[in-house]
Amino acid sequence: MEQPRLGGKVNRRRFLKTAAGTTAGAALAAWSLKHPAPARAALRSDRARAAEPNPKRGGVLKWAGPAEVAHFDVHQGTFRFVLGQMYNNLVRFNPADGLKTIIPDLAESWRISPDGKTYTFRVRDGVKFHDGTPFSSADVVATFSRIIFPPAGMASLYKDQFATVEKVEAVDRLTVKFTLKEPRPYFLELFTPSSMIIYPKKALDENNQDLRKVIAPGTGAFMFKERKVAEKWVMVRNPNYWDPELPYLDGLELLHIPAWTDRGTAVLTGQADYSPNVSLETHQEGLKRKDIVGTVRYPGEFNSYQVHINNERKPFNDPRVRRAINLAVSRQNLIKAFGTQEPIVLTRWMTHASEFASSLKELEGLPGYRADKAADIAEAKKLMAAAGIPDGVKGVDLVSASVAPHAEILAPAFQEELRRTLGIETKIRVMERALLIEELKKGTFDMMVHTEYRSPISDPGPGWEMCLKTGGSLNFSRYGNPEFDRLLKQINSETDRAKRKRLFAQGMALLDQTAPLYLIGFTDHLPMWRNYVKGHASEARVFSELGRVDTFWLDR
Amino acid sequence: MRKYLAQRLLIAVPTLLGVTLLIFIAMRVLPGDPLAAISGEGGGSYVLSQEQLQAARVSLGLDRPYAIQYLDWLKDILRGDLGKSFWRGEPIRELIFRRGPITGQIALMAVILSWIIGLPVGLVGAVWRNSWTDYVFRFVVVLFMAIPSFWVGLMIVLSLVLAFTWRPPLTIVYLWDDPIRNLQMTAGPALALGIALAAMMARITRSSVLEVLGEDYVRTARAKGLRERIVVWRHALVNAMLPILTVSGTAFGALLGGSVAVERAFGVPGLGLALVFAIAERDWMLIQNLVLLYGVIFVLINLAVDISYGWFDPRIRFQ
Repeated sequence: MEQPRLGGKVNRRRFLKTAAGTTAGAALAAWSLKHPAPARAALRSDRARAAEPNPKRGGVLKWAGPAEVAHFDVHQGTFRFVLGQMYNNLVRFNPADGLKTIIPDLAESWRISPDGKTYTFRVRDGVKFHDGTPFSSADVVATFSRIIFPPAGMASLYKDQFATVEKVEAVDRLTVKFTLKEPRPYFLELFTPSSMIIYPKKALDENNQDLRKVIAPGTGAFMFKERKVAEKWVMVRNPNYWDPELPYLDGLELLHIPAWTDRGTAVLTGQADYSPNVSLETHQEGLKRKDIVGTVRYPGEFNSYQVHINNERKPFNDPRVRRAINLAVSRQNLIKAFGTQEPIVLTRWMTHASEFASSLKELEGLPGYRADKAADIAEAKKLMAAAGIPDGVKGVDLVSASVAPHAEILAPAFQEELRRTLGIETKIRVMERALLIEELKKGTFDMMVHTEYRSPISDPGPGWEMCLKTGGSLNFSRYGNPEFDRLLKQINSETDRAKRKRLFAQGMALLDQTAPLYLIGFTDHLPMWRNYVKGHASEARVFSELGRVDTFWLDR
Repeated sequence: MRKYLAQRLLIAVPTLLGVTLLIFIAMRVLPGDPLAAISGEGGGSYVLSQEQLQAARVSLGLDRPYAIQYLDWLKDILRGDLGKSFWRGEPIRELIFRRGPITGQIALMAVILSWIIGLPVGLVGAVWRNSWTDYVFRFVVVLFMAIPSFWVGLMIVLSLVLAFTWRPPLTIVYLWDDPIRNLQMTAGPALALGIALAAMMARITRSSVLEVLGEDYVRTARAKGLRERIVVWRHALVNAMLPILTVSGTAFGALLGGSVAVERAFGVPGLGLALVFAIAERDWMLIQNLVLLYGVIFVLINLAVDISYGWFDPRIRFQ
């Protein structure tokens, strides 16, 4: 029997139910963290709302962040947090409950077939794009067909994560069906990131499937008004938004402030109202000024700091050497050394925000992760001896970006740990960040300090596909392990959550043994906002999401 | 004078052609692919297929032979079309018109500030040589020459934030739109740059005035009973202006392109910052045009400085 997931139109009765549900949602959320329900499908509110009662309307939010884009096509990789304000997804995480549950967005409801291989979305009727074109299932099909089966010449950056999709089709004007080759338990979550916006078919057709030079109309809460290149974007409230309750704001000014410190000082001094990520020192300054600003740590950004170890180069093609490095080098020391720059959190092969992540308590006793390194270093030395290099190696090429935190903190700290514990002597080769990419792609390095071990969602499944599977698009360490690939296939098609958790545990154990790379940890974001900015429920967020601000409101 | 001007401008043509050739070759020879920066989030580290890379290359015109690319660029410049940024797609002319006034204003204010502070300090040091005042001034001058401008900038921003919970505006405000906010934005960078330049100006003024004060005509002026103030202002300072002018002109040119660190410290979206990001993003078209712009500015500033010599020293004639 198919499982219905229903949203629906708002009427008085439904609204009251929703309000009650939102209150209950908070309690449920706490419970659901410990007892996660399948596919994050606990629906308590079917539309995005501010968490606070009686939000005020009006005002313009000044948002500070990296707001510049190379082009306007999100699916070809441009920066999505700005453009995403003008569009909708099929589904989204509920901002009111701290992003714990998935709620409808343009999809009013959805059904998942019992075998998990068919997802049928019923989309909202009466929605219009900003240019007045009616929205329909054809737009969803056009959008995802382009992502999954891109036309020649299009750089579809999200193609890999949808690799299991066999077919996308419009069943009727308001129904879309995704047919999968094999089930993916995280499939619904793949539609939640702010990159998964729906473009109008009309704009895609008119522009030969390439929106890089066109700001295509969206269905979103905000409409484009003005862009001052490398300075700011101005957006205004969509008066015909399909959800009459949103947005609360009259408009947005998205200020392009690339430097974290500048964003922090902008919020501290009132030049900006909200920034999703500021520098550590301004964040700490904000903690002292709670009378004017709010601060919190968004746990578990999906990016990490790691050292890629080239699995194809000697002696690192020997898993014992890589395992030795993972055992001997102290993650605590590296995290502490980097602590003045950005908060890195100790974790094991996946973001600490994932429900499948090992707890800090577990890590405290785990070889390679525990603070006391004596036994780990002894074991690492045995492994080095078994690999035929008991005294270490010399002249290892350790590449780092030229930015000071990498070149002057992380790389030297890692270098010293390797030298001190295993006698591995490295030479740091500093390069501009833009050049690292070419090195990564060509594999012309022994080791590289980098930030490209990641996952598009909190579920590590697609991240592991990209970063660890043989031939994965972000597998820059060139790890290839058929046993791991088989296990990953099992993990990513298993729909039972408890079984999946066990499989992930097996996967992590295998990765500990074969050590594709050296993961230092995942980062936290440091948002800061003026006290009058409401509707973001930052304190409740279970992971970092720098997406839409349609539920934000200004209490002034 | 006209002939001299025409000659100088004519000589500037091969100089500027050399600049275009050097920067064009440098961009192609140095490692770094603009496509890598353009292709996606996270610095473009998603692996694109050869087909996708080729399509992107064609769209930027990078598939053509280098000679054709270079000649097309020159043709575009002559037509007044500076092309578009690879990264942002913005016409470069618009970028220069939007950011240039702020950078120019900061540079000009810094030079004026350096004169206001540097000339009197240098003059006093020269007139009261080896006095306590001279010693104190020399100490301060050396101190400010040693402190990098970006550090002064950071200290200014930090002090304002911590003490007054205030910082200069982060978005462009032109003088003609809102003079007060514009000055709030530009005063800090101008001060940070101007202080270091003032220190250099004071040193040059002091040594230059000292040299002139030892000249025969100064002794003659004193011998005929002129007051010391007139001797110093009319005879010594005016004749000591040539090196000061040369340094000011060069400094102004350098500030237009080289105030990057200070623009960064204050978060001012000027031309310097645009160049830094363009280099990081391997935005060849933007780099080429900005470097050419700086070349043109230097040529013109040098010319203006040379012409002004004649005004300060009537003995100089242009042929």
